[in-house]
Amino acid sequence: MSEIHGAVGAYVVNALDPDELEEFEAHLAVCPTCRQEVVEFGETAAELSLLASASPPPAALRGSILSAISEVRPLPPEPPVETAPSAPTGNGSQTITADLRHAVDELALRRQQRRTRVLSVLVAAVVAAAVALGGVVYTLVQSRQAQVAQQAAETELLTAPDVQTYTATMKDGGQISFVVSRSLDRALFIGKDLPAVGSDRTYQLWTLEGERAIPDNVVAGGGDRQEFFRETLSGVTGLAVSIEAAGGAQQPTPSTIQTVTPLSS
Amino acid sequence: MNVSQLPPNAEGQHAGSARPREASSGREAEAAHLAELMTLCSRGHEEAFTELYDLTSQRIYGIILRVLRSPDHAAEVTQEVYVEVWRQSARYSPGRGSVIAWMTTMAHRRAVDRVRSVSSEMARDERYAFHSGDREIDEVWDGVEQRLDIERVRKGMASLTAIQREALTLAYFGGYTQSQVAQLLKLPLGTVKTRIRDGLIGLRDALGVEA
Repeated sequence: MSEIHGAVGAYVVNALDPDELEEFEAHLAVCPTCRQEVVEFGETAAELSLLASASPPPAALRGSILSAISEVRPLPPEPPVETAPSAPTGNGSQTITADLRHAVDELALRRQQRRTRVLSVLVAAVVAAAVALGGVVYTLVQSRQAQVAQQAAETELLTAPDVQTYTATMKDGGQISFVVSRSLDRALFIGKDLPAVGSDRTYQLWTLEGERAIPDNVVAGGGDRQEFFRETLSGVTGLAVSIEAAGGAQQPTPSTIQTVTPLSS
Repeated sequence: MNVSQLPPNAEGQHAGSARPREASSGREAEAAHLAELMTLCSRGHEEAFTELYDLTSQRIYGIILRVLRSPDHAAEVTQEVYVEVWRQSARYSPGRGSVIAWMTTMAHRRAVDRVRSVSSEMARDERYAFHSGDREIDEVWDGVEQRLDIERVRKGMASLTAIQREALTLAYFGGYTQSQVAQLLKLPLGTVKTRIRDGLIGLRDALGVEA
């Protein structure tokens, strides 16, 4: 315990190597002392960051960010978490306990970013099953649930109780699946054997709200890819993929739409 | 440097505001204000987000640029961070620390993730790497209180041992993993890990005492 506890400083400055990061995050989930220290060191690191404030960001960035957020809906609050009866009082410890779910969510997201290689194996298996079985992915996922319970946002999505998988063959080739969970408010695009589209073009994801198409993330062509939708799913009635000029478009080009998949509500 | 020479948004709205002169209560008031802005963001108020951006972007961009060294990458990652702050605004809660700490943590993590995912081809901009130094801060950083804050942090860093300071600096500003820090400093990994933690404890205590 004392040895792993000592990693808290390196954790806060994001200096842990991947193996130890995983180990420490597992420890963090069960160690209120370390969580407290992570919060405190987080404040200290934020002050330390003052020494890096060299110059203001480029003026153009401000406009770009403000226009980007106008197209993104803030996530709803999470449901309240019951506080553990043994939670120590005072000094913010209660809220830390209540925030455990947050912490774990964030950890899951980090793992997702760091472990795409591991996940791609899992996801490939899921895609194979989804494509072969026309969307009956749940049993496979369930059987793997125990071994993957600690992994990443993809896994969280794949194992959500209300997960649904929609599969389709795209117009110009390639098998795709949309893995969707209304309860998590997220959708994942999984493409298998996507045809290459050249460096000047890209696959683009869209969420559909009735007649309206909202541009979402872009995905490079060629091979197997997975990408979360940026948008949440409130009001979304369907998902689509098109091929657009590199960088993406604001409206889908009708002739290049690859698939349109209605979602059940 | 004279204030009149500053680029426009170095003079954030807070610069001229009538915050208490006493440093710690000023910080508390600012922290409370950022928390209010975050609440408004969670309800979709874009003006609140704009203010949040204006109040924090220099710090957030600053740490990202310091780690990444490349202005292009830094701009991209800064945008990612702010979009995520907006998206997650309802999920921020004070139990996770202050708003600025929450944002800084996210910014640093994403900068470090970017460094490690693209490090081979990306090449941090070496021109920047060799010309960047703390002296730049004095030239452009605006406002007496911010200067005092920076001075406090500098003093706090100066109170650490050389190895603590160096390990913490390489890890935090350099974006190196603890193994890489160990190699750079020619120290055992366990020692580096301890020094980073001791450095944060020392800095936390030094800042706490003065606040």
